[in-house]
Amino acid sequence: MAADTGHVSLTLPTAATGAARRRARRTAFLMLSPGLIWLAVFVLVPFGFAIAMSFWTSTIFGTTPAFQFGNYAQALATPFYRNLLVKTLWVSFVTTLISLAISYPIAYLLATLRGTAKTGFVLLLFLPFWTSYVVRTFVWLPILGTTGAINQFLLYLGLIDHPIGWLLYDSGAVYIGLIYVYTLFMTLPIYLSIDKIDPRLIEAAADLGARPFWIFWRVILPLSWPGVLSGSLMVFLLSVSAYVTPQLLGGTSGILYSNMIAIQYISTNNWAFGAALSVVLFGVVLLLLIVFGRWIGLQQVVSGGRR
Amino acid sequence: MIAAATGPRRGRVSPYRLALWIYAGVFYVLLYAPLVMIVVLSFNDSETIGFPFRRFTADWYAKVFKTPEFLTALAHSLAVGVLAAVISTALALFLAMGFRHEFRFKGALFNLVLAPIVMPGIVGGIMLLMFFGYLGVPPSLWTTVLIAHVDWVLPFAFLTLYPRLHRFDRAVEEAAMDLGARPIEVFWHVVLPIVRPAIIATLLFSFSLSFDEFVRTLFVTGYDRTIPVMFWSMIVEQLTPDLPAMAVIIMLISATTSLIGLVVSRRTRDDAHPATDR
Repeated sequence: MAADTGHVSLTLPTAATGAARRRARRTAFLMLSPGLIWLAVFVLVPFGFAIAMSFWTSTIFGTTPAFQFGNYAQALATPFYRNLLVKTLWVSFVTTLISLAISYPIAYLLATLRGTAKTGFVLLLFLPFWTSYVVRTFVWLPILGTTGAINQFLLYLGLIDHPIGWLLYDSGAVYIGLIYVYTLFMTLPIYLSIDKIDPRLIEAAADLGARPFWIFWRVILPLSWPGVLSGSLMVFLLSVSAYVTPQLLGGTSGILYSNMIAIQYISTNNWAFGAALSVVLFGVVLLLLIVFGRWIGLQQVVSGGRR
Repeated sequence: MIAAATGPRRGRVSPYRLALWIYAGVFYVLLYAPLVMIVVLSFNDSETIGFPFRRFTADWYAKVFKTPEFLTALAHSLAVGVLAAVISTALALFLAMGFRHEFRFKGALFNLVLAPIVMPGIVGGIMLLMFFGYLGVPPSLWTTVLIAHVDWVLPFAFLTLYPRLHRFDRAVEEAAMDLGARPIEVFWHVVLPIVRPAIIATLLFSFSLSFDEFVRTLFVTGYDRTIPVMFWSMIVEQLTPDLPAMAVIIMLISATTSLIGLVVSRRTRDDAHPATDR
């Protein structure tokens, strides 16, 4: 403490707040440590190990720490793996666009509702997404399959003579599955951002003579932009990482990047290459978050556009 | 909130509005049709999954509850779900309290806590598979699976608790401190009672997330399968007629816990978290 004997009455409060601040910092440190230690030991270190391993060499006898760039050369330069990455990005992009088109009108309608109707329809929207996504993907098998509901119905109507085979185990089924499973992550943030708009802004626009279309185009749409951005990022990230949907509905032609990673562990036992593919996939995700981080923070993305 | 400004004013529904409602009707029907269909099929007295609907039967449900693999997996899922929920909620509660203070690298550490949400599920699974493989820890329910689940659930638990604690009036705590309460007493007698509903809601959401977790678990599971892993191996192997009934039971468990969680959290006026899934 400052040796200022003449101003004891002035230095005392400072000393007290200084001590209090230090105590507060120690408390914060103590409270953060269990969670941060968990994340360091069970997320950071394992992922760091995966990065290290992505430079190792896998043979049929196992994976050895022989440093090389071969795994990344194979992952990024071989047309097969590069095309799969491009395809995964493309499928995710299209899924995001379709989800956006499907979700926006629903989000808008929900935001304009009031009272019980609003609570009820929002809850109805949530409910299916609270159930296992493995189950929600599985339900499409008895719908799209050759003996499934759609084929049975078309046969019954006499529109087709024999079942259509391409409904399932194809890219189309992957799109349907992804959109079905992930739409809420688009609808929710858009709904929340429209719901937040100050009604006086819309009234003001109307009073100044704006027609409903222009009110939507110049007021509501720009103000719902954070929701659109956060929903789009979330659906894109979820689709890029999708494993269950392409594995179950996509057949051999519909598999995406995650499924290729899984193959390295389930069948070919090429851990080092699998680690490299994993680093590439997570790298793509982080790159996107950094690029869009200019407009939207991670917390907003993962909590549905809320700050 | 924008209802007041955009709602019909002259008591007449505009054609745009009508179109919007029709569209919403189609949307909700398509959202629920697959789920309703699986419920209908679960009562169908047929040896194959599909239509036509022959006769009503509850036999598939009886069969599911007599399947030993299902009961074992259910026990595993319930046990690991409860423990993962308790650990995640406890860690998240302390993290949320710590993040109320200002300190260096706060932003970076905050992003670290949220990182498991954006990490692809398969990456979260295989990194633990390799890590524990090289440490010589054999995969099992109480080691690898539990750790994978807490990794996944912790950020969501944090996201539900943090806003609640952030809004919390610090003056209440400071008053207790000034009156001579020790930090542990402040926590136990002041903080905890106020955030208790939020904690209960977080426990329920966390359980639901853990109960439905699949990709990470698939790669770190040993012989102790959880419900989603068991269900997955069954649908990949062969589409047996009892699967719709099993699907309905699984959906009911996770939807019910989330619903109770929502009701509890509504009392604290917090927004519920949708269960993210990957």
